[in-house]
Amino acid sequence: MIANLRVIRTTFELDLKQQAVDLFMIFGVVIQPLLIAIMAIYMLSERDASRGIYVVVGSGMTGLWTSLLFRGAFNINAERFMGTLEGIVASPSALATVVIGKTLASVTLSLLSMIFSYGLASLVFRLPLSVAQPVPFLLSLLVMVPTFIAFGLLISPLMAVNLSLSGWVNALEYPMYILGGFLFPILLLPGWSNPLSYVLAPYWAARVLHATSSGVATPADVLLSWAMMLLLGILYIAASYRLFKVVLRRARVDATLSLM
Amino acid sequence: MNAIEVRDLRRVFRATIGTIRRRTKEVVAVDGISFDVRDGELFGLLGPNGAGKTTTVKMLTTLLIPTGGTATILGHDVVQGAGSIRPRIGFIFGGERGLYWRLSAKDNLRYFADLYHMDPDIAKRRLPELLELVGLTGREDEKVEGYSRGMRQRLHVARCLLHDPQVLFLDEPTMGLDPVGARELRQVIQNMVSQDKTVFLTTHYMFEADALCERVAVINHGQIVALDSPEGLKGHVEDLSVIEVEVFGIAPAMVDALRQMADVDTVSVEDRDQKQSLRIHSPLGSAIVPQIMQRLDGNGARVGRVTVREPTLEDAYVRLVGGEV
Amino acid sequence: MKQLSNSVRIFLGGAVLSYKALFRWFRLEPYLATKIIAPLNQILFFTLLGSFATGPDTASFYAIGNAIQLTAMSGIYGVTMSIGGERNEGTLIYLFGSPANRLLTFLGRALVHIVDGMLGVIIGLTWTGLLLGIDYSQANLSALGLTIFITTVSTSGLGLLMGCLSLVTVNVMFINNTIYFLLLVFSGANVPLAKFPVWVQQAAHLLPLTRGIQAARLIISGSTFVDVAPLLAGEALIGVVYVFVGYILFSWFEITAKRRGTLEAY
Repeated sequence: MIANLRVIRTTFELDLKQQAVDLFMIFGVVIQPLLIAIMAIYMLSERDASRGIYVVVGSGMTGLWTSLLFRGAFNINAERFMGTLEGIVASPSALATVVIGKTLASVTLSLLSMIFSYGLASLVFRLPLSVAQPVPFLLSLLVMVPTFIAFGLLISPLMAVNLSLSGWVNALEYPMYILGGFLFPILLLPGWSNPLSYVLAPYWAARVLHATSSGVATPADVLLSWAMMLLLGILYIAASYRLFKVVLRRARVDATLSLM
Repeated sequence: MNAIEVRDLRRVFRATIGTIRRRTKEVVAVDGISFDVRDGELFGLLGPNGAGKTTTVKMLTTLLIPTGGTATILGHDVVQGAGSIRPRIGFIFGGERGLYWRLSAKDNLRYFADLYHMDPDIAKRRLPELLELVGLTGREDEKVEGYSRGMRQRLHVARCLLHDPQVLFLDEPTMGLDPVGARELRQVIQNMVSQDKTVFLTTHYMFEADALCERVAVINHGQIVALDSPEGLKGHVEDLSVIEVEVFGIAPAMVDALRQMADVDTVSVEDRDQKQSLRIHSPLGSAIVPQIMQRLDGNGARVGRVTVREPTLEDAYVRLVGGEV
Repeated sequence: MKQLSNSVRIFLGGAVLSYKALFRWFRLEPYLATKIIAPLNQILFFTLLGSFATGPDTASFYAIGNAIQLTAMSGIYGVTMSIGGERNEGTLIYLFGSPANRLLTFLGRALVHIVDGMLGVIIGLTWTGLLLGIDYSQANLSALGLTIFITTVSTSGLGLLMGCLSLVTVNVMFINNTIYFLLLVFSGANVPLAKFPVWVQQAAHLLPLTRGIQAARLIISGSTFVDVAPLLAGEALIGVVYVFVGYILFSWFEITAKRRGTLEAY
């Protein structure tokens, strides 16, 4: 058990090191969310005053998703191309522990994007940025981390099993921003799409973060969102457990998924 | 006690070809091989490219599941007991890949130490020891992307020894190394055995198998065609002499004609820059040289040096794999 | 005469090569994903955000803005890569050693991306008509077509310039991504320029797309060609300036590399 935690920690550290200097990630986690924030700040200038924190949270979520998506799609595939996947599979450690460590690195780095947006909004645009319900807000952030890790844990083997699926990552960025209600409420969407939103953990994360930062959240709201995030997290983990088995079976039995 | 036991091991690959009309093609990479490797032995698997060496190693290192037959490492089955096998084995697949280029050598080793669930204190101690062993001390903080081929291979050696495994699988470890690097690596391999480790080595360099291995299995087309000590294998060609003829630009048809000759066992051709070296096995030895010369001269082939010698392990190997080196 | 046919050959040759390079990896799924679905998603996101911000009746502002901006997908990514990509492949050095007319080679490469870019915009506008009910009945379609063409060419001009810059920097994709998004922010696709500080507005008018998007919006709401002619002229001029500067930069790199003996860096 402790050995597994060590794997997660080392993978986390090393991946963090690599991601922090990766220009692609810097764009996705810092620049793109900042530019989205700028656009949103101007576009929403005619709406209510709490849009400062609204934009910070929303653009932060976009950074989080972009990082999870793009990084997640390549967690396993990149190891494959580098020839290091065999080393991991043949080791006593499970592939999943490595993916957890990497996803944790992605999530940590992309929380940075929220901080940058915060800096932008307060220093450049001088917007009011108080979080109305700080304790539930921070707790929600805490609940969000394992949920997103679970989501990342699902994306990686999914993209590994079906390599052509990873070609679709470009098309999956904005849909999450839309369905997740990051920068506008999902009320604007047709009713039939709402169930889709409800099974996406980022939607519940955005929902509770927006609500607690603007001060309209009731305890029932908050608990519902947390419960949904945790429930979905468990479902994602269960699905990913199956998927990892598929990845390994294809690699070792069918030999259709080259480990190299 | 046998470290490795293999019985009728088989691996079939199924590939689907084509996008519209799909056909399944079956390739039998390993076709029912059996052998044992004793504790502390340095065992060689020798064969040409595509013979099934790497596939065999992958099955023994739990990366591939056999399609048929069984294999046990240290008494554990490679399928059922993979969890028990993995901490006890180490492996190197020849080549550039398998390391994290953006990380330093030290970070690479730290990472693998954790992957292998090593106690951090033990890992801390062993890391500098191993770097010393492979001669990378002082360069461990540099990124692997700046390493030469030889240095990367040495780092691979350090990696595979890190967790002090009992059985080592080395798949063509000296491939691509310069002669000095290759010799150093062979020295390291011999040291491993002197530490009571079992080493399973695959190679297509005959002299390497001859120099290092206690026993050699020759594999071709997924089957073992011979298994013996290097001396024993040479016995396979005791009856033959080897006539080596240097030629300049010989046509394949001519080589085939030589093969058809009576009393010629096998003919193999080795390209060396401008010239080729024909290796002809024949029980007649020097007696057959005039006939060979007649054939070659008669067809306008330019001939250089001709030597007749005793067979080596290489010749045994050539004969065993039917000349298709 | 021979000069002319040579020139045509170089121009078209570069175009065909670019075409092949672009479609070498053509497979339906990635094409579908990147050229048809991803652009639609961008339009949807910003139109919805815009509707939330300024009301559903302003949807067409955002939809049209984004649809036109999509030309940057080919104009920036495609064109920049066609130069930066040469460097990655190591083939630039051969270009430098050839007697081919640089300008024509340069422009020939952009041709495929211009066609691709216009196609992208047309697909985008079609989506806005189909899914968002944007009304094109008032539009002078030939004026719109001309607008799309000019805007695509001027954006490709910026791409050519960026391509040259990418010869000396390490990460082409980073430049691509950043320029694409900067265009999205400052071309008026989503934020009406009047909201920006004056100096930003002035800078925005130095970019391609700014006038083109304005023109497109006017045409679709019924303006005539004559109304938008000044905008189109401005857009065309900007494009020419970018191509010119890019070409000068490209030649300068070549001469410097040859003089300093640093060709291998390319």
